[in-house]
Amino acid sequence: MTAAVVFAILGAGAAGAVLRYLTARAFASHDGFPWAVLIVNVAGSALGGLLAGLAHIGTIDPNLEIVMLTGLCGGLTTFSTLSVETMQIVSLKSIRVAFLSGAANLVLGIGVAAAMYFWLIALAS
Amino acid sequence: MIRELAAVAVGGAVGTGMRFALDLAFATEDGLFPVSTLIANIVGSFVLAVVVAELWEKLPDWARAGLGAGLLGSFTTFSALAVAFVHLASTNQWLLALIYVTATMVLGLAAAALGLRLGHARARRPDLVNE
Repeated sequence: MTAAVVFAILGAGAAGAVLRYLTARAFASHDGFPWAVLIVNVAGSALGGLLAGLAHIGTIDPNLEIVMLTGLCGGLTTFSTLSVETMQIVSLKSIRVAFLSGAANLVLGIGVAAAMYFWLIALAS
Repeated sequence: MIRELAAVAVGGAVGTGMRFALDLAFATEDGLFPVSTLIANIVGSFVLAVVVAELWEKLPDWARAGLGAGLLGSFTTFSALAVAFVHLASTNQWLLALIYVTATMVLGLAAAALGLRLGHARARRPDLVNE
């Protein structure tokens, strides 16, 4: 792996983080539900599933795959904000909102990743 | 706003680099249990919780943005968790896929809860910080 690839990964991670930050500012919680994290996690997981599918059928350059997957998707999505926000919501006694948020991230995030992955593979076969 | 965005970009690059280094240190093939992502998500949850509970009030906006959204937000990841589940499930390792996601959620939330408690306790006793 060349230094250029490593720098591209870091740059893509920075871009993903900035996109996530702007999303968080645009969707500053008005109804107590952490929408911003759900949006970036579902969007990043969809792109991740797409990239994994492209890698599986062998139509993506491995360097581009790692820049997009580890860099952009990794930077765009987050787990720490999800876990800390969920526990803060729990401490505010909104167990239902905390559960809904966690479940929505898991079901929708994994769901769109799987859908993109298997859709691409079906398309290619 | 520009200062916050710059801090997020720098923190995001560093956090991504740390996660990538963990990936290289704990390399796993597709269809196996990605230990590096699990470690990053648990450690990142704990550290963010401590920082939020202990230091949030004392930090300027750009430092919150750089540390929270930037560094720790990018160090942890959700897409790698989703892709890992899909890889495991697509090779019929459903049990391992479920164990992986459950372990991440349970340990990540526990780490966040522990970090919040620790951070709040330390914030209430500032005299102990320098010991």
